[in-house]
Amino acid sequence: MNSIQFENVSKSFGKTKIINKLNMEIKKGERMILLGPSGCGKSTILRMISGLETVTEGKLYLNGNVANDIDSGDRSIAMVFQNYALFPHMTIDENVGYGLRINKVAKGEVKKKVAQAVDILGLTGLENRYPKELSGGQRQRVALARALVKSSDFFLLDEPLSNLDAQLRGQARKELVKIHEMYNQTFIYVTHDQIEAMTIGHRIALMNQGDLQMLDTPHNVYHRPANIFVATFIGSPSMNIITAKLDGRILHLGEQEVELPDMWLRQINQSDVKSIKLGIRPEDVTLSNTKSVVSMPVKVKYVEDYGNRVGYYFDLEEEVVSIMADNIFSMGDTVYWNIKPEKLHFFDAETTNSLGYPQEIL
Amino acid sequence: MKIRDRQNILWHITFIVLVLLFLYPIIYAFFTSFKTLPEALNSTTKLLPKEPTTEAYSNILSKIPIVRITINTFVIATIVTVFKVITGVLASYSFVFFEFKGKKAMYFVLISTIFIPFTVTMIPNFITISNIGLRDQILGVALPQLADATGIFLLRQHMRGIPKSLLEVAKLEKTPHLKILRTIVVPIIKPAILSIGIIFFINSWNEFVWPSLILKSQENYTLSLALQMFVSSEGGTDIPVAMAISVLTMALPLAIFAFCQKHIINTFAQSGIKG
Repeated sequence: MNSIQFENVSKSFGKTKIINKLNMEIKKGERMILLGPSGCGKSTILRMISGLETVTEGKLYLNGNVANDIDSGDRSIAMVFQNYALFPHMTIDENVGYGLRINKVAKGEVKKKVAQAVDILGLTGLENRYPKELSGGQRQRVALARALVKSSDFFLLDEPLSNLDAQLRGQARKELVKIHEMYNQTFIYVTHDQIEAMTIGHRIALMNQGDLQMLDTPHNVYHRPANIFVATFIGSPSMNIITAKLDGRILHLGEQEVELPDMWLRQINQSDVKSIKLGIRPEDVTLSNTKSVVSMPVKVKYVEDYGNRVGYYFDLEEEVVSIMADNIFSMGDTVYWNIKPEKLHFFDAETTNSLGYPQEIL
Repeated sequence: MKIRDRQNILWHITFIVLVLLFLYPIIYAFFTSFKTLPEALNSTTKLLPKEPTTEAYSNILSKIPIVRITINTFVIATIVTVFKVITGVLASYSFVFFEFKGKKAMYFVLISTIFIPFTVTMIPNFITISNIGLRDQILGVALPQLADATGIFLLRQHMRGIPKSLLEVAKLEKTPHLKILRTIVVPIIKPAILSIGIIFFINSWNEFVWPSLILKSQENYTLSLALQMFVSSEGGTDIPVAMAISVLTMALPLAIFAFCQKHIINTFAQSGIKG
């Protein structure tokens, strides 16, 4: 049984359609990431699960039951808000125990559970402070503690780390995973940050303009992107998408040409498309002075030294292509791109969908 | 640093002078109320009474039921304040946190009542109160004032400053609305409620025209009506008595302000909720 299931769910605000016929299943105890650029509808999905937003069309199942009309208070939801939503007039203890007290849990029990959550999140000693007396990181953990004490079926997080600085964020990511492994609730996490998505999620649902683009493991989202949007959204610097033309065994990239191995020829030819685009991640090409199996000579247009790596930019017809490499070349040098065939991606230029991957490298 | 210090001193002197100017009438009234009539009328007299006397106060006590009048004023002001705050909090909560048909139009109509002058509603209200037989009763004074658009407007502004997510946390716990109002909204905007309440209270305390229409018998008077008896042309020119009743009239509002000034200043200094 799935923990959460969306069946053709749409959401509109007035005439604006935010979510378009979403079909998605979230397993029990899974860490599901809702990822996408701002305005893609990811927070709306979270809010529909919580019941704070209604479902316009379709059916939403929670624990196997249609939940469209279930009051948010009856859904067993704990939620962490982006702005933490701590009550400014309550101490940390009161904030964390709020839900328990409202639901008339016995006083002793409240005390025990609050103390436990406060302890797990390293907030011991701050129990009697007010939110305004805490740092951003501490507030974020109070919000987590308040959600944890509920021991609900679903744990929803709406960009919980976006107000923290980079260092704290790295630390908080690990803590979140650790906490989830302790409690094992169904965990739905909204973010626009791909690092968070990659490191926290069991699976990622990547959204764009109300449509689900891909739903898969972080590894597959990165290495087997379903379409050009997914391919370019994940990864930094993002994947190069190059207009290509296949002529027999030869792939033309602007004025350059390269001979494709058999496995790719088979894969491309079996899908009957008119025009194709090649995707290459900047880190999947190595540069050298000598030719190798799949390789082509290109002139360096521009160099950026990042210290740990060097970024090179090349002109392929009208497209600027970036490559990250370790070795040093200068502007104007002609270098060979050595391409690992298993690191290529091909897309249908019209639909932008992936042409799939050869059997050999799956 | 030096220049800044000097500027600070100049500002302080300016403020102290201004404060003295504003306070002078009050100080004058206070000290004059302890003078005898001849001393008060003598133009060469000093600010402080030569021989302080409570003659003026006993004079008032003998002429009018001042204790009763003070209680009347207090009862009216309390009823008006409590109801205005309660209706204001409830109305602004629904305007801020509920979605319903005609919300905008309703709010617009409500707020536009602020711009209707009192003189326009005075006669209809008077007739209504007379018809239900509440003339010459303190309840008749309070009844038309149990809700107030200004209060709703101000409270709504403050409630809008509360992040919606705070209420959503409460909703996820299935907190009933009245409990959300009591345990979350009201505590957060408590300073605003207090200061708005104080303003309502003082306004009602000082109100003159409406009570003067409704109240006829002395035992039902409010302080501002009593004050009128002693300072108008009919009241004569007993200056110490006039000052004494002035002091009595302003004593309570001043005390409340002194006691709550931290809250009042906070409300105007602090906009919205931080953190």
